[in-house]
Amino acid sequence: MEPILKTEDLWKVYRTGKMEVPALQGVNIQIAPGEFVSIMGPSGCGKSTMLHVIGGLARATRGRVLLDGNDLAAMGDSQRTALRRHKVGFVFQKFNLLPTLDAYHNITLAQHIHGNGFDPHRLEMVTSLLGIAGRLKHKPSELSGGEQQRVAIARALIGEPKIVLADEPTGNLDTKSSDTVLGLLRQLNKELGQTIVMITHNPEAAAYGNRVLHMRDGQVVDSVSH
Amino acid sequence: MIGYMISQNVLHRPVRTFITMIAVALEVTLVIIVIGVTSSLLVDSAKRTAGAGADVMVRPPNSSMFLGFTGAPMDVAIDKKLQQLQYVQAVTPVLVQVNSVNSLEMVWGIDPATFTQVSGGFVFYSGRGLQNADDILVDDIYARSHNNVRVGQMLHVLGNDFHVAGIVEHGKGARLMVLLSSLQDKMGASNKATLFFIKCDRSDHSLAALSETEQLLPSYTVTPMKEYVEMFTSSAVPGLSSLRAVMIVIAVSIGFLVIFLSMYTTVNERTREIGVLKSLGASKLYIARIILSETALLCFCGFALGVVLSFVSRVVIRLLFPSLPQALITVDWTVYSGIIAVLGGLLGALYPTWLASRKDPVEALAYE
Repeated sequence: MEPILKTEDLWKVYRTGKMEVPALQGVNIQIAPGEFVSIMGPSGCGKSTMLHVIGGLARATRGRVLLDGNDLAAMGDSQRTALRRHKVGFVFQKFNLLPTLDAYHNITLAQHIHGNGFDPHRLEMVTSLLGIAGRLKHKPSELSGGEQQRVAIARALIGEPKIVLADEPTGNLDTKSSDTVLGLLRQLNKELGQTIVMITHNPEAAAYGNRVLHMRDGQVVDSVSH
Repeated sequence: MIGYMISQNVLHRPVRTFITMIAVALEVTLVIIVIGVTSSLLVDSAKRTAGAGADVMVRPPNSSMFLGFTGAPMDVAIDKKLQQLQYVQAVTPVLVQVNSVNSLEMVWGIDPATFTQVSGGFVFYSGRGLQNADDILVDDIYARSHNNVRVGQMLHVLGNDFHVAGIVEHGKGARLMVLLSSLQDKMGASNKATLFFIKCDRSDHSLAALSETEQLLPSYTVTPMKEYVEMFTSSAVPGLSSLRAVMIVIAVSIGFLVIFLSMYTTVNERTREIGVLKSLGASKLYIARIILSETALLCFCGFALGVVLSFVSRVVIRLLFPSLPQALITVDWTVYSGIIAVLGGLLGALYPTWLASRKDPVEALAYE
């Protein structure tokens, strides 16, 4: 089976004046459809940069990033944006919900940007699965941290992305909420076959995935399957 | 969705939204009122001249349409020749002088008998007609706006003291009227007049009377009153079009700058939100659409408020300056002011929109 995501000698170098900082140094990974992969590593090892590059938010300096057969590294900004719109869902540590919109509109905003029109069945399925169907009329300020993150996950899923990229999804949650969110991600992976890549520094969170990639100094140094 | 998002964004910062709308409203009010006041001054002046009831006006050759600039070069004996024309029923001479002491007002010197034949006579609120050399008639608007001038009061006009003989209804010529002979005396313009008003025997004989008069006085400026009134446009007044253009530029600048500042601040404040939208796959055009739509909404609401403020301002101006005619608020200029407000606002939002659409998503998401 073709991997849903593949990187080949991936480099990302940040230039600040005359200084060059290599955040990724020749990363080679493959993620199969339906996998739940955790990426772990110390601060500054390049985890977030990896997520941004494979999600098309940042452009690789060198190498290839093949997402569902499309080389992100060869694309311009508007092409990466279009690909991201249809194939990638993001979940952030700080939830990043729009504060002026209620949960319903935060989720359907993603559908609106997607451009395929409003799908009420998908919305019902996703919100029921995540247990937030009764909280849709509330704004983020009226939701708990766990609820906000579930709304964010619903927003990431509503467009049926090929891959969900989660950047420390439990970083701002208490233990109970963290377990709930991680459990839901595992459920999405098992029941819907959703491919998930999750960054975490927490080994217990990382254990929710099928495989853990360990990063250090911009390189993947180990890959452990459960 | 975008409509809902924009409305929520606008409501999220009510004070900033309100201030922005007020600024746009002031811009709209400025345009409408400046145009309205200048138009009404022109129209009022023309209407009061036309209110003398004449069908045709005779002025000296190459004279200005603004009677106060013409002087008094015509011999009053011309009226005898005019009275002999076939279609002429009555002729009255008028001497026009501008009073610039204490205020700027036109003073007409009239012959009461013939002026009454042409105009149908004054409607008196109090007092009597002109009889003595130092008598003066004032209209009700002048009386009200000058500390309620009363019959019997003394007025200092054209360097002379006059006794208020009567207060008349406005609309028939100048606000101040004295005897022709008295004004000729005081101005050293013996037997002179600024213009002649002609009343035809029938209104449908105006053109015939016009033709007769032109044949009698070929080098003089002979104008039907209807045409005279229509001459009073902003383009006919030197500098007025330029004044209006300057005021409009100032108004647009206000709107442009306020919207620029408001949307620039908004874009900076919403940096992370822009990052979120980009992470969801929103294109530059999508983001630009949100900013510009929000701007258009603010401008449109500001325009609506500005129209309301214009009507309120009109009332306030009338209360504060009763001698000024009511500002003319026309549909044309109301629409133009709206277009100016929206275009100025969108122009002001262009740079903030460009900034928003070009924000790096990673940096934007990391923004605190």
